[in-house]
Amino acid sequence: MSKPTDLVQGTLDLLILKIVALEPMHGWAIARRIRQMSSEVLQVGQSALYPALHKLEQQGWIEAEWKVSETNRRAKYYSLTRAGRKALTEEAAAWERLSGAISAIVRTV
Amino acid sequence: MSRWLTQLRLTFRSVFRKTRVDRELDEELQYHLERQIDEGLNTGLSPEEAQYTALRAMGAIAKNKEECRDMRRVNFIDDLLRDLRYAGRTLRRSPGFAALAVLIMALGIGANTAVFSVVNAVLLKPLSYRDPDRIVTLSAASTTGDAQGPLSRQIAILDFDGWHDQSSSFESLAYYRSDETAVMPGSAAEYAQATVVSPEFFRVLAAEPMVGRSFTAEEVQKGSGAALMISHGYWQRRFAGDPRVLGQTVRMSGRALPIVGVLPPGFHFPGKTDLWRPASTISREQRGYRSRNYLAVARLKTDVALERAQAEMTSIAGRLERQYPERNKGRSVTVARMRDDMVGDIRLTLYLLLGTVTVVLLIACANTATLLLGKATARTREVAVRAALGASQRRIVRQLITESSLLAFLAGASGLLFAYWGAKALVALAPADVPRLAETGIDASVLAFTLGASVITSFLFGLVPALYASKVELNEALKHGGTRSVVGGGLGRTRGVLVVAEIALAVVLLSGAGLLIKSFIALHNVALGFRPEKVLVMRTTVPAPLRVANQFFKDMLSQIATLPGVLAAGATMAPPGNAESTSATGSYFIDHMPARPDRSNAPGAVLSIVAPGTFAALGIPVKSGRDFNDGDTFDAPFVAIINEALVRQAFPGENPIGRTIFCTFDSPKGMTIIGVAGSVRQYGPAREPMPECYMPYQQHQYNGSTLSVVARTVGNPTALAETVRSLARERSPDVPVKFTTMEARLSENVAAPRFRTLLFGVFAGLAVCLAMAGVYGVMAYAVGQRSNEIGLRIALGASAGSVLRLILGQGLALAGLGLALGLAAAVAGTRLLTTMLFQVQPNDPLVYLAVAVLLGAVTLVACYVPARRASKIDPLTAIRQE
Repeated sequence: MSKPTDLVQGTLDLLILKIVALEPMHGWAIARRIRQMSSEVLQVGQSALYPALHKLEQQGWIEAEWKVSETNRRAKYYSLTRAGRKALTEEAAAWERLSGAISAIVRTV
Repeated sequence: MSRWLTQLRLTFRSVFRKTRVDRELDEELQYHLERQIDEGLNTGLSPEEAQYTALRAMGAIAKNKEECRDMRRVNFIDDLLRDLRYAGRTLRRSPGFAALAVLIMALGIGANTAVFSVVNAVLLKPLSYRDPDRIVTLSAASTTGDAQGPLSRQIAILDFDGWHDQSSSFESLAYYRSDETAVMPGSAAEYAQATVVSPEFFRVLAAEPMVGRSFTAEEVQKGSGAALMISHGYWQRRFAGDPRVLGQTVRMSGRALPIVGVLPPGFHFPGKTDLWRPASTISREQRGYRSRNYLAVARLKTDVALERAQAEMTSIAGRLERQYPERNKGRSVTVARMRDDMVGDIRLTLYLLLGTVTVVLLIACANTATLLLGKATARTREVAVRAALGASQRRIVRQLITESSLLAFLAGASGLLFAYWGAKALVALAPADVPRLAETGIDASVLAFTLGASVITSFLFGLVPALYASKVELNEALKHGGTRSVVGGGLGRTRGVLVVAEIALAVVLLSGAGLLIKSFIALHNVALGFRPEKVLVMRTTVPAPLRVANQFFKDMLSQIATLPGVLAAGATMAPPGNAESTSATGSYFIDHMPARPDRSNAPGAVLSIVAPGTFAALGIPVKSGRDFNDGDTFDAPFVAIINEALVRQAFPGENPIGRTIFCTFDSPKGMTIIGVAGSVRQYGPAREPMPECYMPYQQHQYNGSTLSVVARTVGNPTALAETVRSLARERSPDVPVKFTTMEARLSENVAAPRFRTLLFGVFAGLAVCLAMAGVYGVMAYAVGQRSNEIGLRIALGASAGSVLRLILGQGLALAGLGLALGLAAAVAGTRLLTTMLFQVQPNDPLVYLAVAVLLGAVTLVACYVPARRASKIDPLTAIRQE
């Protein structure tokens, strides 16, 4: 089973959780939002996005619902669960710590 | 928690609604593709270009899907389902093997489940009272540590009052006393188990009536008119569950007592009580300090531990002992949880049984493992092919374990059936006095036990064969494609080890069973000192003044004695030979009564009241002097007959006839000894005869109104019962009677040893059968492996006899090894039985010898078929096969 390779492992989970925390969203929109919010820096391949979504759903952090999309077609919308909100807080804090530590090192050297 | 549920729901959905989930995944990815194309179109690409770009960006859709499925953990379960289907197919392909394996394991698991269901009901399930762990019993104990009679746990009310007033560990504290009592719920008298309880009794047990109410404060007042509460069983039996039972009366001790409440069906305390009534109401309780006829229960305060309560009671008892040395010398109190106390002797028996069936299960596992090993050999090629196609060793082991788990679960399910019947049989066989036995059944904890046993056993019997099978030398196996030489030596050795273990375990059980059987036979062959055959026993209570009672018995006895078929008739307050004997004990003095008798150091004896003719009816020999006769009345000189044990104790080398004996019974008068009777075992075969002093019923106040009439008959004693019953009815309708026979009473005595012996015997037999099936299997396998070698021997001139001897010798070598190990284990293990053995030592050489001989014999039988087959091997065929 291959893991998302274009992002640090686990970071994609954090990004997805953060994005769907704002509003329920389908896969394509999540990918687009990640691209836009990172000013086109982060590109999420579909081959990484969907396994990650299904894993998060299986873990009970996000839940899915079929709704009619803005283009009038059926799409699977993901939203954050209560457990997912807790996970997001923890993951975000962990990320802050990690990135802070890395930048501290990078800046001094 | 809810997250787990979500996960479980999703997993179930992924597995059981697979097409739907797959379709949704398709749709989701399709949607993504379409949006991608739309985006391409928006940036000005042609439809073809947009689709191409989008598809390229999506990458391999199939791989993508597979990863999504992986994330949903579908594959793990898919593998499992595939393994299960495959296992099912494999088992169906060899139904004989599957049926045999399932049967063996089902026997093992079923036996365990059945015994566990009894253990669960009797020992493990909490009592059905509120906070049952806080209910304790307080019983008399001896500080000197010497064991006393079965009644020695009982206490006097005087003791109880001291405990009640001085202790602070208990929320409530009560005493009670339960007797078979004459009652009249209708127009005829009958016996009922009536329990007299002190005021706090129902508070201790936290029992509320299901119909009606508890006793009021007034009803438990000393000297009040009292009232009755009845058990659910008595309500159903006697009043057909009629709700209008409240207010109806039951006559008891000459008074009509109103029924005020019915207790719920689960409430049985103490024992088989039918009626409860407040103490000290219609009759006075016995308040003398030697009237130790009561038992006590208490409820611990919530914050008080059992140990603290025990410490407090010990110090109170010490204080009472110093304060009243005469009545309390050497006496103390034991505080015990009620459940532990109730269970008593049966605990060891049940745990030993559980151990026994566990051993049987282990043997069954070893047996199934050897079966599977045989199978593994045959499947070498199949496993090799799978391995060659890329299955990892782990994957193969998992497949094989799935197979054994399937076997184990099938066995567990069939075992439950066996257990259902087995538990019924156990309950029917068990001694009647085992508490809560009736609650035995298959409940959640029993199911959990069976499931656990199935899982554990599937690993026990499945792992070794699976590991063997998976360690196949690929090249060799594929090249040979056969069953020989690939996994030869190691496998044969493993099976040998398993069979030796089986034999050793079976030997342990067989030795235990042998000891119990020998002990049981010894128990049966004990000379009781009387002849119990063909003796009718009729317990009778005459609720009237002593003179009336005397007259009743006198008339009845003379009438019964003249009935056709009656050889002799008498009456006694305590028919001998039963551990639950109702006899009294006390101390005695010879020739003169000291002014200040030192009762605690005086010699003791069983004291019993009998009618003339009792010795003849029971077959107790009168060695010298005479029997009592109708002239021994209250106005005549007091007389007594003593037994030989008392003669040995008090009159060594002297003639006791004509001497005087004083007993601490109901009268201080001296009695002239007029005869010597043979000694009987008053408390059943397991206890030596005690000294006993017999007194004529017309001379004694105490218990002259409740006697057991005993009649020796020519034919079947129970045939006489109806005649005697109508005689009693005619004479007086308010006299309850109850029939049994001496033999039935004796068989109650040996109910517990019979139960143990029978079950140990059955399980040991099962163990030996399983072990012998193992021996047969391993020998048949060995013969198959060595067929060409044996063929060669025969070709070179070995006789059939020598081949037979060769194979039998090999089987006996296995058996000998197992026997040696088993006997060593048995010598250590059977020590657990010591307290259950009667006149047999746990290291009885005769029993072990018998075990060895028996095992040797059955081993020869088990080996004979394979050995014979070996001797019939055609050398040409055998050699050609290679």
